[in-house]
Amino acid sequence: MQLVLIGMNHKTAPLEIRERLQLSCGEVDRTLPELMRLTEIREAICLSTCNRVEVISRVTDSEQAVAGLKSFIYGQGNLDIAEMERCLYIYRDLEAVRHLFRVTSSLDSMVMGEPQILGQMKEAYRTAVDHRTTGVLLNRLSHHAFLVAKRVRTETGIAGNAVSVSYAAVELAKKIFGNLKGKSVLLIGAGEMSELAARHLLRQGVGRIHIANRTYSRAEEMAALFQGTPVAFDRFPEVLPEVDIVIASTGAPGYILTKEMVATALRRKRDRLLFLIDIAVPRDIDPAAGEIENVYLYNIDHLQDVVDANREVRKTEAMKAEEIIAEEVTAFEKWFNALAVVPTIVALRGKMEGIVRGEMERSARWLGGLDAEERLRIEWLVASIVNKILHDPITGLKEESREKDEFQYVAAVQRLFKL
Amino acid sequence: MMGIALFKVALAVYLASAVVYGGSLWGRRVMPARFATGLMLAALVIHTSSFISRWFAEGMIPAIGLYDVLSFFAWVMAAAYLAMQLRTKTRVLGAFVSPVICAIMVIASVELGGKVGASAMLKGSLFTAHVMLSITGEALFAVASCAGIMYLLQDNLIRRKKEGSLIRLFPSLRDLDRINYLCLFWGFPLLTLGILAGSFWARIVWGSHWQWDSKQVWTLLAWGLYAFLLHQRLVIGWQGRKAARWSLMVFTALALLLIVGKLFFRTAHNFM
Repeated sequence: MQLVLIGMNHKTAPLEIRERLQLSCGEVDRTLPELMRLTEIREAICLSTCNRVEVISRVTDSEQAVAGLKSFIYGQGNLDIAEMERCLYIYRDLEAVRHLFRVTSSLDSMVMGEPQILGQMKEAYRTAVDHRTTGVLLNRLSHHAFLVAKRVRTETGIAGNAVSVSYAAVELAKKIFGNLKGKSVLLIGAGEMSELAARHLLRQGVGRIHIANRTYSRAEEMAALFQGTPVAFDRFPEVLPEVDIVIASTGAPGYILTKEMVATALRRKRDRLLFLIDIAVPRDIDPAAGEIENVYLYNIDHLQDVVDANREVRKTEAMKAEEIIAEEVTAFEKWFNALAVVPTIVALRGKMEGIVRGEMERSARWLGGLDAEERLRIEWLVASIVNKILHDPITGLKEESREKDEFQYVAAVQRLFKL
Repeated sequence: MMGIALFKVALAVYLASAVVYGGSLWGRRVMPARFATGLMLAALVIHTSSFISRWFAEGMIPAIGLYDVLSFFAWVMAAAYLAMQLRTKTRVLGAFVSPVICAIMVIASVELGGKVGASAMLKGSLFTAHVMLSITGEALFAVASCAGIMYLLQDNLIRRKKEGSLIRLFPSLRDLDRINYLCLFWGFPLLTLGILAGSFWARIVWGSHWQWDSKQVWTLLAWGLYAFLLHQRLVIGWQGRKAARWSLMVFTALALLLIVGKLFFRTAHNFM
């Protein structure tokens, strides 16, 4: 099928090399036309993210094309060739199809199952379409890859479980509060972890964020970032009755949120569910607070356990995903084989013969009045008209596809004659 | 006997939906539960048409006798559960509601068809209103208890911080609490109206509102307990675990008392 995929990812190439390979997202607009200038390349899509660079192309001559693509990439990166050689992988035909399916299904991602890659692949495809660098094969391949990604996502649990601590916390919050819209959050300690968790929560539509920090200016800074409210550190118990979720991450040596504080706050709280997340080491929240009814306390180890368990689940789900991909690669191969010149000609002839047979049968009553020889002559006449009509298109199809681009003609014939 | 045939079909579809809900729990997937919810909706439609055809056949609302009353009880449970699905996404709750519906339908089918026009005394719209309202109230309490059981399980899962896939499968605590509350909130006034209708009817037919009948005592007890529960929720602010636990306890106690009463006491309510 003369498909070549060349690329490197986070597993094969260190960050420095991926960085220096200047195929960064914005520059695909420039690289695509340059790629198409290589004589062996008929179609191309260029996917470039911070974790991977992949060029998928349909070529006329596999060996020459690989050499051309390689030198093209070396030219981009301005790098040592030997080093580059170690980082690159090359897949051909069905192997390339399989690799692309795995990439779009997020089996090849740094965090397996994360959905961003599908969006990035769609973007790359759209760019290629804008530059008219895709044709029958890559169009079909891309759409098929999107379909596979969707199947993998719905039929396996690969993307179902949180695999980061902050996301696990958000998932749990949803299992307590249902919808997080309008819920308010108190961050005690404005560290990196709590910032990440706050970002996740905001994306879920959390209403208000209060931020208490020992250094007040830092609380103000972060409050500005999230449009939250800064709170003086020693006054955070006062906002406790107003919040639904507390994330504690200070460097304090002892418990700063005691059981009594929580119990007092809960009595004044209208809505009596409280989710406490303690991601500080040493711990910030007295574990006894978790014993109070309708209070759910998770510390960093609990969340890490959830994440570890989810990672295991993803691994087993990945095996199911590989099976789906194997199936889909076969399906794609089947489609591709049907796209060849010879089966198309056979199908075209078959269709014409079918029409002739059908029409002869319809006129059987009228033909019955003729004698055997006359009937034979009519049959012969019809057959030769059909052959004459088909002669030029069929030889044309053979010649054109030998010289140029077989897919376009084959696909056109298949569509025009509804084969 | 169209109604009976439709009832049997409805029972079969309810059973199928319970099995699929079970599969959802077993496989830890929400997908089958969605399908099962669809099945339950189909069962409800068939069940409804069974009612209507029975209504036309008998010329009155079928609300007398074990069969009709239990069948109506199951119908309200299914309708209430499905109505909740419009607001909250608690598909898997069906895994707890549908077995109860099936059990009640099976018990109902013991006296399949039953006697509708049992006694001329029991005719009249006041009596029908009494039965329909009381049963609706009690069926809503049954749904509240199912939500309560699930609440306690989910609360326990989150508290124990162990296994993730069940936590993910089960609905959120907030939704379950909301369903428990809504069923209580609507069930209580309906039960109250049902009791009032019954007592007015008793006054007309028997000459007195109250007769110290075992079923009457039971009903009053149920009313009192649910009044207490609703009061605790609305005024004291009970929520979550405590509310769930209590609604479950009250329902279990009442169900046991009902069975004991049926076994050991004679009652003027023996038509049910």
